[in-house]
Amino acid sequence: MATTTARAAPAAGGLTLDRRYALLGVLLIAPTVLVFCAVIVYPLVSALYLSLFSIYTPTLQGGFVGLDNYAALLAGGTFWPALANTLIWTAGTLSLQIVFGIALALLLNENILFRSLARSLILFPYFVSTVVAVLVWRWLFNDLYGLANHLLMLGGIIDMPVDWLGRMPNAMLSVIVIGAWKYFPFVVIAVLARLQTIPEQLYEAATIDGAGPVGRFFDVTLPQLREVLAVVILLRAIWDFKEFDLIYLLTGGGPLNHTRTLPLAVYQEAFGLNRMGMASATAVLMMLVMLVFMLAYLRRAARAGAK
Amino acid sequence: MTERDTAMKMSAGFSRRGVLGGLGLAGVAAAGLAGPLGGRAFAQEAITLRWWSPQSAPLQLAAYKAQIAAFEAAHPNVTVVFEPTSDEGYPAQFAAAFASKQLPHVVTHLPSFAAQTYYAQGLLEPMDAVIEAVGPGNYFPGANDVYKTGDGKFCGTGIGNTAADMLWIRKDLMEKAGIAEIPVTWDELRAACQKMQGGGIYGAPLPYGLNSMTSLIIIGFIHRAGGEIFTPDLEVAIDSQAAADALEFYASMRELCPAGATNYSWGESLTGFVSGATATGIYGGRVLGNVAAQNPGIADFITCATYPRKSADIPAWTFNDFPSIFIPKGVDHLAEAQALAAFLLTPPGYIQQLHAAPGHVLPVLETIAKDPAYLANPIIEKYPAEVELMSVSAASGNNLGFETAKHKPNLKANEIVASNVLAEMVQRTSLNGEDAKVVLGDTAKKLEALMKG
Amino acid sequence: MTRRPAATIAINLVTWAIVLAVAMPLLWMVVTSLKPQSELFRIPPTLIPSTVTFEHYWRVLTETPFLLYFRNSMILSVTTTAVVVVIGTLGAYSLVRFTYPGRETLAGLVLFTYLLPSVVLIIPLYLLMVSLGLANTIASLVIAYTTFALPYALWLLRSFMAGIPEDLESAALVDGASRIGAFVDIILPQALPGIISTALFTFILSWNEYLYALVLVNSDSVRPLTTGVMNMLIASFNIEWSLLMAASVMMSIPLIVIFAFLQSYLTSGFGAGGVKG
Repeated sequence: MATTTARAAPAAGGLTLDRRYALLGVLLIAPTVLVFCAVIVYPLVSALYLSLFSIYTPTLQGGFVGLDNYAALLAGGTFWPALANTLIWTAGTLSLQIVFGIALALLLNENILFRSLARSLILFPYFVSTVVAVLVWRWLFNDLYGLANHLLMLGGIIDMPVDWLGRMPNAMLSVIVIGAWKYFPFVVIAVLARLQTIPEQLYEAATIDGAGPVGRFFDVTLPQLREVLAVVILLRAIWDFKEFDLIYLLTGGGPLNHTRTLPLAVYQEAFGLNRMGMASATAVLMMLVMLVFMLAYLRRAARAGAK
Repeated sequence: MTERDTAMKMSAGFSRRGVLGGLGLAGVAAAGLAGPLGGRAFAQEAITLRWWSPQSAPLQLAAYKAQIAAFEAAHPNVTVVFEPTSDEGYPAQFAAAFASKQLPHVVTHLPSFAAQTYYAQGLLEPMDAVIEAVGPGNYFPGANDVYKTGDGKFCGTGIGNTAADMLWIRKDLMEKAGIAEIPVTWDELRAACQKMQGGGIYGAPLPYGLNSMTSLIIIGFIHRAGGEIFTPDLEVAIDSQAAADALEFYASMRELCPAGATNYSWGESLTGFVSGATATGIYGGRVLGNVAAQNPGIADFITCATYPRKSADIPAWTFNDFPSIFIPKGVDHLAEAQALAAFLLTPPGYIQQLHAAPGHVLPVLETIAKDPAYLANPIIEKYPAEVELMSVSAASGNNLGFETAKHKPNLKANEIVASNVLAEMVQRTSLNGEDAKVVLGDTAKKLEALMKG
Repeated sequence: MTRRPAATIAINLVTWAIVLAVAMPLLWMVVTSLKPQSELFRIPPTLIPSTVTFEHYWRVLTETPFLLYFRNSMILSVTTTAVVVVIGTLGAYSLVRFTYPGRETLAGLVLFTYLLPSVVLIIPLYLLMVSLGLANTIASLVIAYTTFALPYALWLLRSFMAGIPEDLESAALVDGASRIGAFVDIILPQALPGIISTALFTFILSWNEYLYALVLVNSDSVRPLTTGVMNMLIASFNIEWSLLMAASVMMSIPLIVIFAFLQSYLTSGFGAGGVKG
């Protein structure tokens, strides 16, 4: 979207209005840039640096190994399965988060009874701390005293308790569903906020043109949501890709590493095996994967936006 | 290059200060600790000591507060600050603390292999002075062997012992099933579990998850089959018939455990037995406290024994993670830190601490174990035989860092457990049904790679 | 928009069914926190406690430093939210309405923050804080969390502000308002739902974050709730379930209250064009 700034004659002896505005613009973004350079650039660079060494975590000492860490990762048998698991997990949970997020935002935009309460309750999975949420889910899924099996058995749907987290494909499916439960409210908040600012007239115009509810959704709502969804999908994808606590606490990567994602591998290398260099190398590779997707995504979004 | 140099310069700068401080007080410490606590010889500036521990449940916290108050009363210029850390998070916290030299003065309740590993990296002070102050004769015989290091010093001392894999069993269920004796061998155990299973009750809550509990438990089983993970000289020795027997037995027990055991860790296993859903349990003394609070109905029917072995001639082996006390190297006020460490083991404070987790954290000092004040606790009074058995078993207990009294300390124990190599071995044989010999071959290779670092 | 009554009922039912399913674990937490310990693991599990007890809440409040941790978390979260909202709003405005070289690249670069996993960032970040003299203070967490929340804030607010027609501002400028005046009177109200959304996100992030709080802050006097409660009640051999559930319910309450309060702002819209409310 081209920005048109009001053109005015240069103030006597000073900068043109354009330049002054440009300066103001830079000033406004300066604190952000400062924070980033200070807080992110140093750790980012240090991670890249550490990945070229073999570092023993408690002492942060070690020797230079060049690209050996990367070679070991790419040739070995743990990186690629972990990458595959991460992609499966991310795609699965992201789709559920977006679909349910939009659906609930639409529903909660209607005049529901006790709507404020419903909105607060929907947010609950997002606010509860991940550690506590996982403990509660493990309890609910427990085969002996867990509510999930109990209710399903009461309802006659199953007659033996299900092993929700200890076998495949249950483990990956459970993790994907619990991940969706935990983070879909994020999508709900962002979309709900945007829905508030869609002018009523657009819907009225569409109704007059004969569009039904589905038509109104695709012709009015979705285009209006596009900008927000673009941001939300990108960010959720990145965050889901990086998710550690949820999966680690639910399954520990099991059974037999079938739910072991890249963030779990990084943690295990850094603090379990005390190999900070290898952990940094894994993290850098993770970053590259995300970068490739991010750039491709942004390019596509820019092209779609320019239409 | 620049950031790394800066980081290293910062560390070097801090450590110089730490070393000077340490040297300055070393002389004082030597004089000050000649007597039991040596409070008189300390410098008079206001000092703050930091104490880290991952065990700070409310009852324990109250006990610590009492000990801190008593210590501060005896040393008016010292303030002690307790800072809880976590069993999962301590590696990250310690890495940060060592890197920046923002060190706690006393660290308690981390497993002995953490102490050994940090000491081998030159990150800890030797604890000989503290052991002297407590009185070496007061300990159970051999209690500090697990802390002996290559240079002949002690890297830590114990704050408690935990007999973490005792066999817990329900006497009422045994009676109902017509079992007269508590199982001593694996065949007896399997038969007993099979008889007691039924009517919604399972035989055992053994863990099969990809987590540290599974790794730690299978180490015990391998020893109870007469095998070992490493030789006393730390050569890989897991590829043996004994280990194969252990894996096969463990796999055969799977059907006597609940369906969800594939993801069990300490919490689920404990609750399985405490809630009455399994006839046997495999855990430490927490069972006693938890049963009293959560399921008092079975309190009169529980008892423990050392875990059954393959055959009666194989000696019993108990897993003790040896919750330790250690002092990081380079702390200022070393003498005061050592005095605090020694103080933690003196009654009545130590007894109150032990009563916060009765039967689970057991005394390292034989004198305390016999002390009437210690024995005057409702749980300990109700289960004297069990507590006595656990105390003795734990005191001669072992862990991967210290498989038998003859083994050299294994500094890679932490990493081996964290790598899940042993848990994977269990999952492959028990869940996937793979051949034990093949799996052991693979595991041996992985262990060799881990040992080489 | 009028609807047939059947459609309204259907919408209500479906929505509430989903809401209750989603909130089930909360219900479980509350129910468990009110049960005595002896009922915790009863088989089969009970959804309604046979005896209701508030002892766990009482114990958490009196036997643990919960209130201290609560105060610390409040200070931390409120400060971080204020900082992020201010810097984020100004920064987003800059990205949308001003032209200067490197603007687009900056917007993209900012997202870089999210690409590295926290495990690798944590130790360099800690060393940085030590060198700044900020280790073990709430300020170090404020700085860390601001960095995590800012990229989201910038992108979200940018997308909101981009949707505000320029004519509104031009009209205000023609009327003699200064650039900043136009910002406050025109942009802010329109972007308000986005700002609230950002504030909520930042508050929740600061309130629930665990790993950085664990490493950057060690002393109880500045420790926030997450590490305080977790370290105290969860150890590898022992989990104090009842206390943990009571503490978790109490930890969630401020968030529910804040959201209920902010909700009305989230859903009100201003400005020309009419808004669905």
